Amino acid sequence: MTEMIGWRLSTEGLRFQRLLGFCCLASFIKIHFFCLYVASDWLSCFPISVKKHLYDVFFLDGPVIEVVQVLVPFLHRVENGGFDTNSVQTNVERLLILCLLENAGLIKITKEIGDSYQGDISRNGSLKSLLSRLSQILTSIPDKARLKSPPLLSSHLYFKHITDQLLQILDDRASCTEANSTVIVLSFVGEIFSRICRRGLSDLLLSRVTPHVLAHVRRLLNSKMGSIEMETFQLDPTPQIWSKTMKAVTDPYAVEKMAEQVLHQLYAEHASDVEAFWTIWTLFHRNVIHQASVRSIFVDKFLLWKVFPIRCLRWILQFSVLECPPLTNTLAKGDVVQGLLETTQRLASVWSKGEFLQSVPFEQQAYITAALGLCLENMSREELDRTKDVMHSILQGVSCRLENPGDLVRKMASSIAFMFSKVIDPKNPLYLDDSFTGNAIDWEFGLQTAVGGVPSVTNTMESEDGETKTSASLTEVNGSSRRDKEKKNRKSKNISDFVLADPDEIVDLATLNCETESDKDDDNASVSSDNSSVTSLEPYDLLDDDKDLGKQFTHLVDVVGALRKTDDVDGVEKAIFVAEKLVRASPDELTHIAGDLARTLIQVRCSDITIEGEEDSAEEKRQRALIALLVTRPFESLETLNSSLYSPNVDVSQRIMILDVMAEAARELANSKTLKPKDDSRGPLISSISDPQPWYLPSNASTPWKKVSETGSFHLNWANRFERELQSKPGQTKKGKSRRWSLKPADRDQNSTDWSQNRFPLYAAAFMLPAMKEFDKKRHGVDLLGRDFIVLGKLVHMLGVCMQCASMHPEASVLAISLLDMLQRREVCNHPEAYVRRAVLFAASSVLVALNPSYIVSTLVEGNLDLSRALEWIRTWALQIADSDIDRDCYTMALSCLQLHAEMALQTSRALESTGGSSGSSTGSVNISLPSVISKLTSINIKLPSSNVHL
Amino acid sequence: MSKRPPPDPVAVLRGHRHSVMDVSFHPSKSLLFTGSADGELRIWDTLQHRAVSSAWAHSRAHGVLAVAASPWLGENKIISQGRDGTVKCWDIEDGGLSRDPLLILNTSAYHFCNFSLVKKPKTSLIKDAGGQSEDSNEPDAGDTRDVQSTDESESSVDDSGLLQGRDHAEGTTYVAVAGEQPTEVEVWDLNTGDKIIQLPQASPDNSPNDATKGRGMCMAVQLFCPPESQGFLQVLAGYEDGSTLLWDIRNAKIPLTSVKFHSEPVLSLSVASSCDGGISAGADDKIVMYNLNHSTGSCTMRKEITLERPGVSGTSIRPDGKIAATAGWDHRVRVYNYRKGNALAILKYHRATCNAVSYSPDCELMASASDDATVALWKLYPPQKSL
Repeated sequence: MTEMIGWRLSTEGLRFQRLLGFCCLASFIKIHFFCLYVASDWLSCFPISVKKHLYDVFFLDGPVIEVVQVLVPFLHRVENGGFDTNSVQTNVERLLILCLLENAGLIKITKEIGDSYQGDISRNGSLKSLLSRLSQILTSIPDKARLKSPPLLSSHLYFKHITDQLLQILDDRASCTEANSTVIVLSFVGEIFSRICRRGLSDLLLSRVTPHVLAHVRRLLNSKMGSIEMETFQLDPTPQIWSKTMKAVTDPYAVEKMAEQVLHQLYAEHASDVEAFWTIWTLFHRNVIHQASVRSIFVDKFLLWKVFPIRCLRWILQFSVLECPPLTNTLAKGDVVQGLLETTQRLASVWSKGEFLQSVPFEQQAYITAALGLCLENMSREELDRTKDVMHSILQGVSCRLENPGDLVRKMASSIAFMFSKVIDPKNPLYLDDSFTGNAIDWEFGLQTAVGGVPSVTNTMESEDGETKTSASLTEVNGSSRRDKEKKNRKSKNISDFVLADPDEIVDLATLNCETESDKDDDNASVSSDNSSVTSLEPYDLLDDDKDLGKQFTHLVDVVGALRKTDDVDGVEKAIFVAEKLVRASPDELTHIAGDLARTLIQVRCSDITIEGEEDSAEEKRQRALIALLVTRPFESLETLNSSLYSPNVDVSQRIMILDVMAEAARELANSKTLKPKDDSRGPLISSISDPQPWYLPSNASTPWKKVSETGSFHLNWANRFERELQSKPGQTKKGKSRRWSLKPADRDQNSTDWSQNRFPLYAAAFMLPAMKEFDKKRHGVDLLGRDFIVLGKLVHMLGVCMQCASMHPEASVLAISLLDMLQRREVCNHPEAYVRRAVLFAASSVLVALNPSYIVSTLVEGNLDLSRALEWIRTWALQIADSDIDRDCYTMALSCLQLHAEMALQTSRALESTGGSSGSSTGSVNISLPSVISKLTSINIKLPSSNVHL
Repeated sequence: MSKRPPPDPVAVLRGHRHSVMDVSFHPSKSLLFTGSADGELRIWDTLQHRAVSSAWAHSRAHGVLAVAASPWLGENKIISQGRDGTVKCWDIEDGGLSRDPLLILNTSAYHFCNFSLVKKPKTSLIKDAGGQSEDSNEPDAGDTRDVQSTDESESSVDDSGLLQGRDHAEGTTYVAVAGEQPTEVEVWDLNTGDKIIQLPQASPDNSPNDATKGRGMCMAVQLFCPPESQGFLQVLAGYEDGSTLLWDIRNAKIPLTSVKFHSEPVLSLSVASSCDGGISAGADDKIVMYNLNHSTGSCTMRKEITLERPGVSGTSIRPDGKIAATAGWDHRVRVYNYRKGNALAILKYHRATCNAVSYSPDCELMASASDDATVALWKLYPPQKSL
């Protein structure tokens, strides 16, 4: 039945088609109304094959310009009339795919444009507006298409097809030059390009365009082996076509996107410098010449605001700054250097600013540094002199970078300084850094590996102030001990030589005696004569070393005296080397001399007393001695250290050293083991729920858990890894290994001894409070909040270490409030230097770890909200840092800080639960006050993952 | 040439509680005298290596600066110098020190200069006893008269006894020491306890003498009696500026000669038993061996030795004149061939500054005293026993 109807209709359709064929172009528009509105009603019931025959041909043969204009509006028009909108849209989609994509509609359009183009200026205006409308319609098709529309209309595939057609059009135009409609066609293509870019598909567009152009450039380069002239490209038609097309892209945004994508694509294609230059030149040289905005994209935006791979940077510089084709692998300099000078000046002035250093992410700093370095590479001394203040800016930038705690920042400074010195005097380059020698500089600064992946944390605080230094100096010590051993070997060899040669001294003496006997008469005869008898006095080995002379200090008073005699370099060195041992022996005199000793140790300048290259060992010895002093006599020496910390008589390095030493001493005190009578009174201070173990350890263990000490960057140290010694199995027995001189007193053994692991809390206040007291006061030579930010960072870090060392002790809770007060200062927590912010994050994390949950609970129960406010501040602030900080380390540390906060909150809520239960059963008054506290608590302090606190 | 490791001490005498400042052998018995900085004077038996007796010769606060014994002093006498401004002469009774000193010289000198007893050649001792050398040098006799006359004008006490070397044989002996004015050298008579003379002799107008002007304190002194001077004493004095002056006691105003071997204070001067030369050392890094020519009254450098580490506080020449030793600040005792001046041994035992070295009269032993409160006995290059 349907087949029969189909046949009848198809014959009707053929007639219809024939009818349409007679219609002229003008009537086409009227007819399609009929087709869509009238016919759709009954067309929908025909099978697809019939429809095709019925009017696909009609649309295909019609002028594409008209077809598109008519069809596209129906893509998303929702009619409320009686038409079946669904079928209308399906039809329109099908027809568009058919016309535009499968039958190369765009090529047809350009042909139609060429036909209608009369070379008549009066008509061109309307044509232009028509083309602009047309391009708008064409590029909007994927947006208007429905969700259910066929995949070919999805923007990705659609524009891919469109782009391919456009490329073909351009190729056609390049091969036939005589067509006078070329200009209007190219402007149409350009318009479509810019609209594609506007729609955010520049990557798709350029992923087709770039290889196309690059292939052509490669063809050209291969054909003209060796000699590449500007004319080659200027005369070749394809580059001309391309540059004209690109000139038609008037939208600066589109140009920027395209340029950016070209660079990335070229990088992905591994284009050589020459190929890349010509590709970029082909596409953009007209825009750069004629449009100031495009020029500024290359010279400003791409150099100062964006970050490209370093090879792209070279292309940008070559194209937009040096403005001449490159040689094989190096940047080449053209005759016109004005652009280079201006760019260098601009880069240098940006680079030199301290704010730039503080506020810009690391990758961008490296990028601009590289840009400046490459510019400098291409400058001569005379050109540098012609610029106004490049020299000044560079010196300023180098000096402010060299003071920075970050390794890479200092490396940037030394690289620029190296380049600069090469400009000034090519024969005498300046090596600020021992690590690099030679001429090649890695402008990527090793960042390439870090991008995107896990940050390789190269400059965290820990690696700067602890581990690496000691490990370095330890290897130094090892080295020197090896040298000593070698020396000893040599010496022992000598000795064995003697032994072999003359094992028995008496023999020698006998011969000596014989000879003196023979001389004796002579002696008596002429006493004054200088006779030969003296040859009998055979010398002993005259080898002499001064190893024993170093041991002469046996009293600390002598050490202090020697340290004060700064003119006696050997004495000072010996005193430093012997100081730690003497201090560790902890003689009685130490109590009285601790202050003096600390002061003199601080004042000693290790670099003065040691030969170059061995400063580290003396410096390490000095610090070890100070640590020993702090550990053995904390109060006496802390008084001196704290007073000299802010004294105008010490310099920044000494302040840093003091803080380092304090942090190390705090750690040592915290880890020290002393045998001490069990202190029962300490029990009630810590509430009932607190175990001797920290709360974050698993509690169901029969033997205590110990934290695995780890080295590495410190926020990784927060990872909770614990270990414990397993008890031996029931049947297993261990044989005793130790030998004792006597039996232990029984009573000590049983009840009164205790290995106290942590001696630090006793001294915590003495460590922290004086240092916190006056940190913000600006004095002569001391400006922690401003210039001496490294000292501030170290101070905060030291305080954090102190908190960690006092963790779970009641002292920590008291000190935490004042420490958090200090951290909350705007100048501290929002310090422009990332170094300080990292330290603050570390200190805040330390506070979170150090606070005993029961203490937080008790403050809440008492209604004291200072602490909870401060803890809430940590959370919001860490969130803010994690959101917006430019420094990657800050970001990761803020995240781990937040994690710690959540953990602390959980533990606190648990503690609160148990406290609430017990207090509820015992006293009613507390019970009454609790709900309000809890509501405050949940609103202010703790954001619980699942609040299960109900009372 | 085979190299032997330097020997260790044959014995170490411990017992002092403070730095041992000086050491001296008994001229004939096997005894050793040591004085320490806390004022203790000990007598040791060098055969048994044991302390024989101990006494507080000087006050604890001042300490002993030097001790000496001499054949001319007598078998049973030693003298000690303290930093308390006294020189005391002691009797040794049955191995111990007398309760009270025989004699106290109040020199009122509080300085660092060790005193010096007369040193003279053994041959001259014999000759003095024989009284042979009086007439041999007539021109010198004229000088003697001149000096006598000046001395008479200054102080007419007992000067003939002083100046005639022959009298020494009769038990008269002298000690030279830097005086109350540390630039001056004084010579005291140990029998009478009187000051005989001071060098340079004070001029009537009390103006500073040109000879010692600008030389600073006298740091070392050596009194000796060369055979050529008919028993008249001569004094070598080393000064703070490194210069050494040779005085003849007959002419107390002007030194015979002045030389400057050192750049730092001279700390030790020794004259060989033959009195024709000696060795000097100081705070600088040089040891100088010099010759004394008594006919021309000159002192010439024979050999200069440069040390690795500066500072020598004591020197000694073995009585047979073959080897010499120095006590260094660098804890080392160094032994040199006195004739040729080459180094023979570097002895490392002491753990603190060495203060003094001394040879026994029979040339067998050497003793070194150090700040580490020990005395070490060494046996190096023992002489062939005379048959």
